[in-house]
Amino acid sequence: MHPSKSGRIGLYLYGVLILAFLYLPLVAIGFASVSTARYLSFPIRQYTTQWYAQALESDTVSDLLWISLQVATIVTIVSMVLGFFGALAFARYQWRFRRLYQKLILLPIFFPQSVLGLALLMWFNAIGITPTWHTAIIAHLVWIAPIATLIIAIRAYSFDPALEEAARDMGCSTWQTLREVTIPLLMPGVVSAGLFSFLLSWGNFPLSLFTTGADLTLPEWLYAKMVSGYSPLVPTVGMLSVAASIVLVALALTVPLLINRFTRKSSD
Amino acid sequence: MNIAAPVRLPDGKADLSNFSDTSRLTHMNVNAPPILRVVDLKKTFDSFTALDSVNLTVADGEFLAIVGPSGSGKTTLIRLLVGMEEQTSGEIWLRDRRIDDVPANRRPTCMVFQSLALFPHRTVGQNIEFPLKIRGVDPAARRARALELLDLVRLPQHYYDKRIQQCSGGERQRVALARALAFDPEILFFDEPLSALDFRLRKMLEKELKDLHQRTGKTFIYITHSLEEAMVMSDRIAIMRSGRFEQLGPAEEIYAKPKSRFVAEFMGEVNLFRANGNGKSVSFEHVTVDPVAAAKSGLKPGFQGYMMARPESVRLLKPGEGADVTAKGLVESEYLLGSRVQYLVQLDSGYKATVELSRENRVTWEPGLKMGIGFDLDRTHLIQEA
Repeated sequence: MHPSKSGRIGLYLYGVLILAFLYLPLVAIGFASVSTARYLSFPIRQYTTQWYAQALESDTVSDLLWISLQVATIVTIVSMVLGFFGALAFARYQWRFRRLYQKLILLPIFFPQSVLGLALLMWFNAIGITPTWHTAIIAHLVWIAPIATLIIAIRAYSFDPALEEAARDMGCSTWQTLREVTIPLLMPGVVSAGLFSFLLSWGNFPLSLFTTGADLTLPEWLYAKMVSGYSPLVPTVGMLSVAASIVLVALALTVPLLINRFTRKSSD
Repeated sequence: MNIAAPVRLPDGKADLSNFSDTSRLTHMNVNAPPILRVVDLKKTFDSFTALDSVNLTVADGEFLAIVGPSGSGKTTLIRLLVGMEEQTSGEIWLRDRRIDDVPANRRPTCMVFQSLALFPHRTVGQNIEFPLKIRGVDPAARRARALELLDLVRLPQHYYDKRIQQCSGGERQRVALARALAFDPEILFFDEPLSALDFRLRKMLEKELKDLHQRTGKTFIYITHSLEEAMVMSDRIAIMRSGRFEQLGPAEEIYAKPKSRFVAEFMGEVNLFRANGNGKSVSFEHVTVDPVAAAKSGLKPGFQGYMMARPESVRLLKPGEGADVTAKGLVESEYLLGSRVQYLVQLDSGYKATVELSRENRVTWEPGLKMGIGFDLDRTHLIQEA
C-alpha cells in the first residue's frame, strides 16, 4: 500500500517527532557532559573534555562500573541458562500445572520494582543475609530471568517440533539433538534474551537501591549525586554508561555473524 | 504372505551405480522373510483407542500405502513404527529382531515428515549429510555421498551450498528425500509429504517417488489420505478406519472387490444397491435384476448386503436395449472429465446413480433427458454386510 503525498509527509513528520522525543534528552545530557559550566545552559560558552578525563581517572567511577558490570554479567549468564531450559520446559513438554506455573513465573514482572526490592530486602534480613552487590544479583534475577524466559519461549514456540523428532529419527541422542538442532535454532532468542537481561540489569535502579547494601551500582550513584552534590560528572558517567550499552548491542549483533562465518568456513 | 502384485523389474535406464547391493534388483522378494511384522499393535491415549490391534506383514522392497481419513490412526501407526511413540501393547519385528522397545534414534528406519523437517539453519548439503555426520562419517566422504544423492533426486550439484529458504516446495521435497536416503534406512516411512504441494507438482513427484522406489529397492511405507496417490505409487494399499485395517491388498483388488461399504465408498465414486435375501430370492432396492441372469450368476438366495457397480461399469440404455440389471431414470446433469464423461442419473426410486462413459459414447444431453441405466452382473461386486 502506498500512502498519498500528504499522508507520506505526515508519516515522516510523525517519525521525526518520535525520534526527537526519544533522543533530545539524551543530546542535552551529552551537551551537559562537555560544558565547563556547572549547570547546563544554552548556548554553551566553553567546551571541555575535563569531566571525561576526571571520570576515567576516578577510582569511584571505575569501582561503580566494575560492580555494575559484574552484576549485569552474572545476571545475563544466569538468565540465559535459566531462560533456555525454562523455555524448553514450557514449549516442549507437557506436565501438570504447566500453564499455572508459566503465569506464576511471570508475576514478578508486574510487581512494582520498588515494592519487590523492599520485599526482597526484608526477606534477606529475615534469613540473615547481609545485602551486598551479590544479593542484588538475586534481586535482579527475580525480575529479569522471567523476561529472558519469555523471550526465549517465543522462539521455542515458533519452531517446528518435528525438527527435533527428525534429528532423533536420524540417530541423534538427546545431547546431539540439543547441540545440533535445539541450541542453534534457539540461539537468536537466547542472544536477544541476554541482551535484554544485560541492559535491564545495567540500568536497574529500584531493585539495586534496596538490595546492594553498602555497595553502589552506577544508577544508584547517579541518583545519589543528583540528589546531593551534583557535578557535571553525572551526565558524563551517564554518557559513558550509554556508550557501554551501545558497544554491547553492537557486539551482540556482530558476534553471531562472525561465529556463523567462522563455523561455516570450518565445516567446509 | 499373499502378495498379488507382480514382481517388476527395474527400469532398464535407471542409474544403479550408487547402489552396490545388486541383490535388491528384483523389485520385491516375495519368498524372503518379511522385513516388517506387526503383531496385535495397540495404542490408547487415556480413554481414546487410536490403534486397535493392527496386524501387518511387509515384504522386503515393497511399496505399501496406508490410506485413511484423518483420525483413522494412520499417523499413530507410523509414529509407533519409527519409535516416536510407545505402543500400549503388541510387537514390532524388523526381520528377526524385535524393535518395539528400541528408541527412535537406534532404529534403522527413517521418516520423511509431513512438514519435511528440514533444518533451516543448515544448507541443502548439510541437511543431506546430517545423518552421516551423526554417524561420524568424515567430511569428504559425506560430501561425496551428498552430491551422489543430489544426482539421484535430480537436483543440480550447485544446490549443495544453497540455503533451504532458497528452495521451492518441490526442491525441498527432494532434499528431504535425499536426506532420508543418506540415512540408508531399512524401511523408509513417509507421512503425507506431498500434501502441501499443488496438483501438477504432486503428480510429477508421485511418479518420481515410484521410480526412485524401484531404483533403490528400498521398502517404502507411505501414509496418505489421498487414494489416488496411493494407487499411483504402491504395490499394496491398506485402508484404515478407526484404528484398524479395514482391508489390505493390491490397489486393483481394493478397487474392484472392496470388502465393505466403507472401502467401496472410500475408493472413489460408486453405485451401491441394497440387497435383501429372504432365503428364497434376493430383492434389490432401486433396480430390477433379471431373475435368469441372477440365477446364472450364482447369487445366493440368503444374501444380505450391497451390489456394487463402479460408474464405468454402468451404461445409459437406449430404447430397446437391455442388461442384467436395469432401472428407469432421468439424466440430471452431465460433467465433462476430459477423456471421459460423467452423468448423474436420478432413478425413479429417487436414488442418484453415477454413470461414466468414454467420450466416444457421449449422448446428446439436454435437461430433462429420460434414459434408463443398465449393467451386467459380471461387472458388479457383492459386499456382504448386514
